[in-house]
Amino acid sequence: MVRILLVEDNEMNRDMLSRRLERRGYEVTMAVDGRQGVEMALVGKFDLVLMDMSLPEVDGWEATRQLRAAPATKAVPVIALTAHAMAGDRERAIEAGADDYDTKPIELPRLLGKMEALLKKKA
Amino acid sequence: MTDFAKYRATLTPELAIELRHDLRTPVNHIVGYAEMLLEDVPESENGRRSALQAVLGTAREVLDLINRSVGSGGTIDAATVETLYSALRVKQEAIVTSVEQLTASVGAWNGDAAVDDLGRILQAARRLAPAAPESSEASRAPVAAGAGPTCGSGAGVPAANARPARVLVVDDDEDNRAMLRRRLEREGYAVVCVGNGRDALETLGGGGFDLMLLDVLMPDLDGHEVLARVKSAVETRDIPVIMISALDDMPSIVRCIEQGAEDFLPKPFDPVLLRARISSSLAKKRLHDQELEYIRQVRRVIEAATSVEQGTYTSGALGDVGGRDDELGRLARAFDGMAAQVHSREERLRTQLRELKADIGIARTTSEMHAQLDGGALKPGDVFADRYEILEVIGKGGMGTVYRARDRELDDDIAIKMLLPDLVTNATLVERFKTEIRLARKISHRNVVRTHDFGEWLGVYYLTMERVEGITVRELIDSRGALHAPSALAIGTQLADSLAVAHERGVIHRDIKPQNLLLDDQGVLKVMDFGVSRLAERSSALTETGLIVGTPSYMPPEQLLAETVDGRSDLYAVGVVLYECVTGRLPFVASSVVSMIAKQLNETPTPPAEVAADVPPALSSLIIRLLAKRPEDRVQNAAELAVQLRQIA
Repeated sequence: MVRILLVEDNEMNRDMLSRRLERRGYEVTMAVDGRQGVEMALVGKFDLVLMDMSLPEVDGWEATRQLRAAPATKAVPVIALTAHAMAGDRERAIEAGADDYDTKPIELPRLLGKMEALLKKKA
Repeated sequence: MTDFAKYRATLTPELAIELRHDLRTPVNHIVGYAEMLLEDVPESENGRRSALQAVLGTAREVLDLINRSVGSGGTIDAATVETLYSALRVKQEAIVTSVEQLTASVGAWNGDAAVDDLGRILQAARRLAPAAPESSEASRAPVAAGAGPTCGSGAGVPAANARPARVLVVDDDEDNRAMLRRRLEREGYAVVCVGNGRDALETLGGGGFDLMLLDVLMPDLDGHEVLARVKSAVETRDIPVIMISALDDMPSIVRCIEQGAEDFLPKPFDPVLLRARISSSLAKKRLHDQELEYIRQVRRVIEAATSVEQGTYTSGALGDVGGRDDELGRLARAFDGMAAQVHSREERLRTQLRELKADIGIARTTSEMHAQLDGGALKPGDVFADRYEILEVIGKGGMGTVYRARDRELDDDIAIKMLLPDLVTNATLVERFKTEIRLARKISHRNVVRTHDFGEWLGVYYLTMERVEGITVRELIDSRGALHAPSALAIGTQLADSLAVAHERGVIHRDIKPQNLLLDDQGVLKVMDFGVSRLAERSSALTETGLIVGTPSYMPPEQLLAETVDGRSDLYAVGVVLYECVTGRLPFVASSVVSMIAKQLNETPTPPAEVAADVPPALSSLIIRLLAKRPEDRVQNAAELAVQLRQIA
């Protein structure tokens, strides 16, 4: 089963996205801030990380950088999620090391397409 | 919960981004949960699917609204935020209505899980906009009624946006009261319970209730009596009433409905039915309130129309009506726009009329002026360019008429030369001409007529210059015939001196001829029109001979062939002038321009000494040298010419 780490501070977003992903057969583990996200990613074996960018403690950009720097996680694909959809967000996310980028509201088919593409590449 | 208080004043770009985030997040939730619910609804359930799709559609409109209003990244004024909120409230209502319909019908569908998710959608919808301002009684009510269940964490939050719908429960049975209170409070309603009809009327009269649950069978004042009083009082008649009664008491239920009750709840209570009936009654009340608000706003549009008629309408007076996202809003916006247009059109018309009058004035002066200029007919006393008072015509040449005029600004007599319109049609030419004039103005020499200004007035280009009293060499030769050698030498040396200075400054005259040489009473020669001939340059092209200014009689071959012209070209012209001075005739005589040009290019002139016996041989041969076809065969510069002329003298 494909293991996804969802790093998201907003409870409703977590609830919603995890349920929708689980329905589609993914195993979803959740972290509520960037620090927890990095810790969990380092110990658990995840196939992909969905990373919200505006997170408390350690923000998504920094968390992504930390994942990229650690040998255990540097190969795990990261998709950055942001609600801002501001110009430059995408570039910043890619610069931090994210493999792809998606904006909220999440269009599930679009996000799934991006996830599958990365998982396939990784395999 | 969104802290709307933060976004009251003008938003900095940073705050605008925060607001955008705060507003987008609930939309994301609405979209996410609605999509999830939609996945669970079987294809056959059209009603529910379309209700969910309506929610999704509205949510996307909301997203669009947010992106349009707070998407640019700049500062945002408070009015824009308020307009956005009004628009969002309309969407909020639409979502709440759809979700409440779904909640009411959910029993047969997916039970509690779906109800929970719908509750989350409602919760998110409530975070889209703060409640409408308190001052507007009518617009507050629907939001309060629409608030429905709120989550526990919403308690204690200030501002009306968190106010749950208030329900008054009237039942003489204590257990019933307790049970209804518990259920309703769990749904998020604010509940007040009373045990008899009198207390009910008193409490309801205190105001602020959105719904009443009323038991039919009560001692003292029974449900019928209470209902009758509630529905007959203006203050309370719009509050929906749901009757509580035993199912077998149909006649009494019918009577209640006839009396104005919205609905009834049979005992024992079924939780799903309870939830559905309450939310549907509140939805109805909200619709009713919306209708009232609608009517109120329609009235405002009508009043606005009247005020436009009276001329007292101020743009934007319809304010919040224009914020509505429906036909009335469109009407108000269109109306406001039309009123503003009418106003600005009147204003524009007045301005245009003023400008037109001014234009007519100018046009009249211009056409009079043009009529005069075309005929070279400015009369003494006319004032040109608001500055030059015309005194007399001095001359008419190929380029236009020259007047003597008084420069009112400098209080000095000047000469003013009008340039024929054909000469100055080409902008490049005008620019080149200006450059040339700028150069010419720098020449200061006793033998050069000073150029003052080049200007344009009412489409006429003109040149002002030093006014010199005297006659032209043309006039001198025409009246006297051939001049004696000393006079010719006096003219020649002064002409050579002036050219030496000009050439040194890089100015080639290009049009040296007797008409441009003025002699004052003391015999001082003044050369006119330095730089002016630039304008006539195109006429040197053979194909345009008709446009030649004057005649090509004084032009060297290289100028006639439009080849490179330099100081030596002017010296050729000096040769022609001197030839004419000493012989009284031109070196070449021809009956047409074309044959004149042919002769200039090919024929060798007869030496002046052979034409007129008294011409000194040295002067005669110098003149012939100046008339050499090739520039390199002529005297090479004006200063050298001056020296040689002085040696002859």
